[in-house]
Amino acid sequence: MFEGLLDGYTRSLLIFGGINVIAAYSFYLPFKTGQVSLGQAGFMAVGAYVSAIITAKFGLPFAVALVAGGLLAGIIGVLVGFPALRIKGIYLLLLTLGFAEIISVIALSWEYVGGAQGFRGIKFNPYTLEYVIGIIIVLIFFFARLERSSLGRAMDSIHQDETAAEVMGIDVVRIKLLAFGLGAVIAGIAGALYAHHATFMDSTTFSIMMGVEILMFVVVGGGSTYWGPLAGAVALNLIPEFLRALREWLELIPVSWTNFYPMDRAYKFLHEFLDFENAKRLIAFGIILIVMMILRPDGLLTRDSVRRLRTKLRFPRWRARHA
Amino acid sequence: MIFQQLINGLMLGASYALIAVGYTLIFGVLNLLYFAHGEVFMVGAFVGLFLVLYAGVGIWGALLGAMIACAVLGVIAVYVSVRPISKDHPLAPLISTIGLTMILQNLAVYLIGGQQVAFPETLTQQLYTFGPVTISSTQLFILVVAVALMAALWLFIEHSKTGRAIRATAENHETAALLGVNVNRVVLITFIIGSGIAGIAGVLDGIKNSGISPFMGLSAAVKGLIVMLLGGLGNVPGAMVAGLLLGMIEIRSAAYIGTTERDLFSFLILILILLYKPTGLFGTRTAEER
Repeated sequence: MFEGLLDGYTRSLLIFGGINVIAAYSFYLPFKTGQVSLGQAGFMAVGAYVSAIITAKFGLPFAVALVAGGLLAGIIGVLVGFPALRIKGIYLLLLTLGFAEIISVIALSWEYVGGAQGFRGIKFNPYTLEYVIGIIIVLIFFFARLERSSLGRAMDSIHQDETAAEVMGIDVVRIKLLAFGLGAVIAGIAGALYAHHATFMDSTTFSIMMGVEILMFVVVGGGSTYWGPLAGAVALNLIPEFLRALREWLELIPVSWTNFYPMDRAYKFLHEFLDFENAKRLIAFGIILIVMMILRPDGLLTRDSVRRLRTKLRFPRWRARHA
Repeated sequence: MIFQQLINGLMLGASYALIAVGYTLIFGVLNLLYFAHGEVFMVGAFVGLFLVLYAGVGIWGALLGAMIACAVLGVIAVYVSVRPISKDHPLAPLISTIGLTMILQNLAVYLIGGQQVAFPETLTQQLYTFGPVTISSTQLFILVVAVALMAALWLFIEHSKTGRAIRATAENHETAALLGVNVNRVVLITFIIGSGIAGIAGVLDGIKNSGISPFMGLSAAVKGLIVMLLGGLGNVPGAMVAGLLLGMIEIRSAAYIGTTERDLFSFLILILILLYKPTGLFGTRTAEER
């Protein structure tokens, strides 16, 4: 699929963007029950290392490794989810952060997976883009169904008021564990895809900053609707590309327009400013985050804005239900 | 041997404690996980470095300059990433301070470059021997400054009027405001004190490790978080004791099981504390967890 259409750069961009979308959904599921996790990068690391061991050390096909990586991350997710039931807020943030750090220390000191040299020689999977697109479609379908199901409503009610939900007869423990475990499964899958596209990883690949970024995708996109993680991950991945494109357009301006005094300075300044090496890109990110939290603390998309968009686009079936 | 390790642990713990004190002050007053604190620490180290290199001041000048610069940075942080953010979104201030973290860290990378910079020698090296323990003049200096700073802070928090206002605000915003405490002012003062101390901690860390990098903030921030939790959220004396304790634990465990596993040990402590004693070793001072 898409062989003739995409050059390598665009392809890689789409793949990493898509993996970020999947990772954002892995954060969104526990978040739906009110659990905020900074440790999704840790679950990604579990999925990545397990799947890479399976393909590189045992020579099994990638599909097996993907499933195994997701499952093992899910099992560990449930194990972490048990203690996570007892605590919330900042304590849960710290617990998940500590978990992710422990995973990275294990990756650093375990020689079987390369230790400090990193895991080398992971098989490259040529169909990563197809996998990514397929999984995103499945996830969106899953979350769309979840939103209208009794399970999804139970999750929302736990998010809003845990005690009230429990009084209403909702099995809070089971649902929170389920959400945390399934979130870990999704993260593990994202990690497995990452490992077999990048073909190299070490203990710093799935760092605290990655966990923070995943959280950012959801908060920026909007945590109250299942379109939010997609919107956030896509927006934050596209901004730097957009700025790069701006610079290329700038170069299309004829030289005769800009080679006299005030214009040449302005041109040079803009040109240098849009030269987005990593540090400058992240500075711009930081500024965008702060401005975003001041202007739209609910994120780009909220439940209401999605509803309004749908009415505008005239989805009659949906409107009829909500008349 | 064991005394020597105790001294080394104290040294390591002193800088942890200084970072954690700021964390816990800010957490106590705002109930906010202030992510950018580690970057303030890093900025302090670089301000100290540049003052020593280009302004030619001594170590005291560097400490004072770093403290003032970081206090100003703390004020900026309040006005940029705390005050404008709405209070009903629990995640919003966390994200905005993460934004500030990214800005500060990458500004440093952009201006200075990503590699380690050597910190010049500012103190004359000299070794003192007390019985079984050998301690260098640098170590002695760091220890004395850190302990003096913590003692001063403790006196300030426990015995001054502003200190009492800080404690009252930490316990309950509304009640403190009703009793005539200017909560906004208290928040500002808390940030100034916490950031100033972090700046000093940065310079001390620079002297100790004789090298600083723009990425030193994150690991310092994480260690500061562990110490804050160990001492009890919002508990300032608790953070001081817990910092020294963690430093000694790390040195001991590094001696027995190796330096990579040392970090594993501190994170295990973090998780055990979270599960079995979330109030920390010495009890919390904040109203309720969020």
